[in-house]
Amino acid sequence: MARHAETAQKLRIDEQAATRYIGIAILALIIWRVITVGLAEGYPTSFWISQALNGMVLGGVYALVALGYTLVYGILFMINFAHGEVMMLGGIAGFFALQFAQGQGWMEGPWLVVVVALLFIMLIGMVTSVLIGMTLERLAYRPLRQAPRLVPLISAIGASLFLQYSVLLIFGVSPHSYRKPALISGGLRLGNVFIPYTGAIIFITSVLLMLALYFIIQRTKLGRAMRAVAEDRSTAALMGVDVDAVIVVTFMLGSALAGAAGVMLGFHNTVVKFNSGFMPGLKAFTAAVLGGIGNIPGAMFGALVLGLIEAIGPSALGIPTEYKDVIAFTLLVLILIFRPSGLFGEVLSEKKA
Amino acid sequence: MPKTIRTGLIAFAFLSYLIFIGVPGRIGENALPILAVVAGLFFWLNLRREVGRKGDSVHVLRAGLQAGATAGLLIAMESGLFATLLGNGVSIQPVFDKIVPQNIAALLGVRPGAIAQAQVPLLRYLLQVVYFTGSGLLGALAVAAVGASLRTYFSRPAMVSAGRWLVIALPFVLLAIVIYLGLPNVKLFSTNRGTVRLLLTLVTTGSGLFALRLTRPGRERMAVATLLGLGVLSMPFALDQFQNSVMGIVFIYVMMGLGLNIVVGYAGLLDLGYVAFFAIGAYTYAFVSAPFSSPFIRSLLLDLGVSADSPLLGYWMALPLAMITATIGGILLGIPVLRLRGDYLAIVTLGFGEIIRLFMLNLGELTNGPRGILQISQPGLFGLAPDAFSSGQLSSQGWIFLLALLSSALIAFIAIRLNDSRLGRAWIAMQEDEDVAQATGVHLVRTKLLAFAIGATFAGLAGQLYAARQINIFPENFSLFVSIDALALIIVGGIGSAPGIVLGALALKGLPEVLRGVDEYRIVTFAALLVIMMIVRPAGILPSARRRFERDSSDLDDGEDEIVVNSG
Repeated sequence: MARHAETAQKLRIDEQAATRYIGIAILALIIWRVITVGLAEGYPTSFWISQALNGMVLGGVYALVALGYTLVYGILFMINFAHGEVMMLGGIAGFFALQFAQGQGWMEGPWLVVVVALLFIMLIGMVTSVLIGMTLERLAYRPLRQAPRLVPLISAIGASLFLQYSVLLIFGVSPHSYRKPALISGGLRLGNVFIPYTGAIIFITSVLLMLALYFIIQRTKLGRAMRAVAEDRSTAALMGVDVDAVIVVTFMLGSALAGAAGVMLGFHNTVVKFNSGFMPGLKAFTAAVLGGIGNIPGAMFGALVLGLIEAIGPSALGIPTEYKDVIAFTLLVLILIFRPSGLFGEVLSEKKA
Repeated sequence: MPKTIRTGLIAFAFLSYLIFIGVPGRIGENALPILAVVAGLFFWLNLRREVGRKGDSVHVLRAGLQAGATAGLLIAMESGLFATLLGNGVSIQPVFDKIVPQNIAALLGVRPGAIAQAQVPLLRYLLQVVYFTGSGLLGALAVAAVGASLRTYFSRPAMVSAGRWLVIALPFVLLAIVIYLGLPNVKLFSTNRGTVRLLLTLVTTGSGLFALRLTRPGRERMAVATLLGLGVLSMPFALDQFQNSVMGIVFIYVMMGLGLNIVVGYAGLLDLGYVAFFAIGAYTYAFVSAPFSSPFIRSLLLDLGVSADSPLLGYWMALPLAMITATIGGILLGIPVLRLRGDYLAIVTLGFGEIIRLFMLNLGELTNGPRGILQISQPGLFGLAPDAFSSGQLSSQGWIFLLALLSSALIAFIAIRLNDSRLGRAWIAMQEDEDVAQATGVHLVRTKLLAFAIGATFAGLAGQLYAARQINIFPENFSLFVSIDALALIIVGGIGSAPGIVLGALALKGLPEVLRGVDEYRIVTFAALLVIMMIVRPAGILPSARRRFERDSSDLDDGEDEIVVNSG
């Protein structure tokens, strides 16, 4: 033991400094790589712009899902691992609503009918997700409110698997493919940059939903209750806040956003299957952590950053697109090295996490 | 809404779920009675809570009747709806994959043709109502019968003592049955004898752990432990290839679970990327024992002038190498995450695991990408090739099982000793509160890195054995689900407790193999059990002594502290 202590004394590495040096070294490597490889490729500016737009669309969807993670985390300090599946189920419901709408011929009608039909599809997806989210909270999480931290996590993992494979069993193995209505299948051409209508709609809808959420959280009585519960659950209860109700509403809000994201991701990727919620869910969680989990603007910002990096990263670094997930996770590690509680993380991690 | 009606509605939801995933069609003609029994079981569990409040059996019986009738009526209406739709030529399958005539017919106990022609007698629906009402009554009867009187009867000292000896004797009896089932001319109805035997093997091992817990410390425990140890050690010789392969994977996961337990259970660092070290161990062994399957290694070795015929290193020679690479991996992950806490740590480790997998998938030159590394050599012993074993008593999978068994015993020993050591106390202190631990002289950097490194080493060992077991390994073998399985098994078993981990591995890696016969329902069953398990026993099946103490003492206060105490 004495010898160990001696070596430790001799090395005397300040852990913060050590990690910071590693971080700076990696950062320098990346910048060097971008300058020598990415910029040297000589892609036109329009290429970068359209990549960035793609990234923003993806980031918008991630943001909606990330908000669900962050809302639940802010109040319950648990990772709702099944949130990606809540999103996927919204997508599945949206698919059937789309089928129904197409069967009724709404999708070929005048543009107002199409818009209303699209809103209807979105609403169906959101309602389904809300129902699933509420059931999930009631059955899998509420009995575990007082349990150690890891227990709800495992329960959530179980719920996630259960939902995935139930969808596989109930709706069959064949993937459900969204068929875009003619009205939104085209795109806008600005110079050399092509903006698909779906992309623009997804981004705008995400932003609108996020604004709505922000309004609810900051300006309504309900939002104030939510913030109070997030701050201190028992004190909030003493002040007359119905904590259980607030938790349910939190799950409902998060699930509604996830449902919308599921439908939009369905239009974006054209396919929804039983496991199509998993990877976006993981990415959204990464985004939430990136921004500082529990922090709502942080989740939005983190998701946009993640989406942009994922879209631009591979070309900028001159590496194959298969590595885009590696880039996303490396970015996460890098940012957490410099800011251990995310970009906008409060001292929360010191206190509660 | 009355409570009984609510119970009936929940039962209906549960049964509907079974219908939607196609269980009746899968069971066949006996679907209705079997579902009724399942519903009865559900009613029994649900009505047991009623007894505590209002003790009289008439009340319980009425509750059972009401709940059963509610469920029965709703099920009859649902199957009537589907039968009518299907009979009128509406195809439901594009939406609900399993709502086909065959499934609904099994539910009603008629031929599929009768559904298609819309000729289901009304009597059939009535029969459904009767069946489920009966199951409600049955459940209530069971509750009324197994009342408080029976419970006091069984808690008399003599009965408790007899029960204790019964549990201690159970594994030995089961072992005898397992060995008897292995005899060549034993028939077991028409069912799959191998699967039944596997189930019994799992139960034997698991009940052994319970038996061990019930023995008194001292001579009695030593004697039972020795006997049980001998019994388990004889298993690889008695079982056949199939059971041995399942038990092999179970104990490989025990090795991993014990390693992860050091990181999560002792040091309180939530690691979701544990698969990375498992993969590093497996691929390290693959590189040196099947060296010519990857272009990069091949050219490297040819440059070094090594011949291309035999593996570079055997299992035992590669052992230190796999351990060292995994340890280095553990330290490399450990350094950047030193300052992270709780869930930030979880997501970064998860990312690390994914990064390693993606590298394996995309670094085709080194790892062959998705094509994997093939023909990894098998471990020998004292110059004996594995072929020599398969000709004798021990099959090749039995040999893996034996190795896994011995390795996990060794790892368990090390882990338990570590937990009792100065380092183990430092881990516990760090888990409870990092700042206080540091103030009392725990060197946080070293303690954390040691936890990561030791955990990673054990995972590396497990990975090497896994590679030897699989012979061919692919990046898909090392997905996130391996980490999740490892984490789930230590939590299901009881975090921090070595017997609990064995039990968790038996339940999570063994039982699904028993359910292979109903492959499509394997994962949903497993997932539902995981959730139920967490709700019923959040501390795990066999919690460690420390956790048990914590849980008991935390019942006294409001439980708020529990959240803080066990935070990562």
